[in-house]
Amino acid sequence: MAEEHEFKVAVLPCNGIGRLVSTVVRVAAYKLKKLRPEQVELLSCGRLAVGDPEHVELARKYPIMVIDGCRPHCASFMADELGKTPAARLYVADVMAEKKINVAGEKRRGLTPKGEKLADALAEKAVAEVDRIIADEMLSTL
Amino acid sequence: MPDKVCLQPCLGLRKEAVLGRQALYVVHEDLRPEVTVLGCGPALNANVQEDVDFINMFPVLAVEACDKDCATRLVDKKGKAAARTVRVAELAEAEKIDLSGLPEGENIPADHPAVQAVAARIAAMVDELLDGG
Repeated sequence: MAEEHEFKVAVLPCNGIGRLVSTVVRVAAYKLKKLRPEQVELLSCGRLAVGDPEHVELARKYPIMVIDGCRPHCASFMADELGKTPAARLYVADVMAEKKINVAGEKRRGLTPKGEKLADALAEKAVAEVDRIIADEMLSTL
Repeated sequence: MPDKVCLQPCLGLRKEAVLGRQALYVVHEDLRPEVTVLGCGPALNANVQEDVDFINMFPVLAVEACDKDCATRLVDKKGKAAARTVRVAELAEAEKIDLSGLPEGENIPADHPAVQAVAARIAAMVDELLDGG
C-alpha cells in the first residue's frame, strides 16, 4: 500500500567551497528543498564524510540523488564510500551546457541573477529527478 | 613559522555553516588573501591532491558550525590534526551577533555585518597561527 510508505529522496549536494559551482550547487539545493520540502532530505557532506550516524541512516534509508559541482565529482565519491548507487546524478556542467547559461564573471561568495538562473535550472532538474525517483518508488510498491 | 593557513570550514547547510563559509570567503579574498588557502571538505574527503596538500603543508584552522566538529574530524580522518578549531556560534556570541536574525536555507550576503565581524575574528586567528600561536 503506497500510503504506508514514506517516499523521500536523500539529496547529497557536494556543497564545496573552492569554486563558483560550489555556490551554485548549494543555492540550488536550498531551492530544491523549498520546492519539495516533504520529499527531500538534504544531506550534509561534512557529516557524511565523518560517518555521522543520523545522516548515514538517511543515506541508507532513502534513494540518493547526488549533485556534483566540479570535475572530481566529490558527492559521487561520497556515495561510493557509503556503498550506495545513486538513483540520480546531476552535474552542473551538464545543466549549464543544456540550458546555454553563461556564468562568466560570477562570484562564489554570492550569485547575481545570472548565477541564480543556473541555480534555478539545476533546481528544476533536481525537482524532476526527485519526482521521477519517488514515482518509481511508489510504483515499485504496487 | 608557517607562511599560510588552511581555512577548513564544515560546509554543512545550516545557517551557522553559511555564516562561516561566507566569512571565510571574506578572509581569503579580502582580508588575508596572500596567507590563506581555502580547504574544500568534500574534495579533501575524495583525496583531491590540492586539498590533501593544503592540510599537509599548512596549519589548519577548522571553522565549525556545530559541536559535531566535522571539519576537524575530517582532517583527523586524513591523518592530520587541526591546529585550531573554532565554532561559528562562539565567534558570533563574542561579537554579540543574534543568530536568530539570520536566514535559514539561503545565502547570507558577504557584506552582512555578521559575516564581516566573524571574518575579522577569523583573520585575527590566522595572524596568531602565522605567528606560531
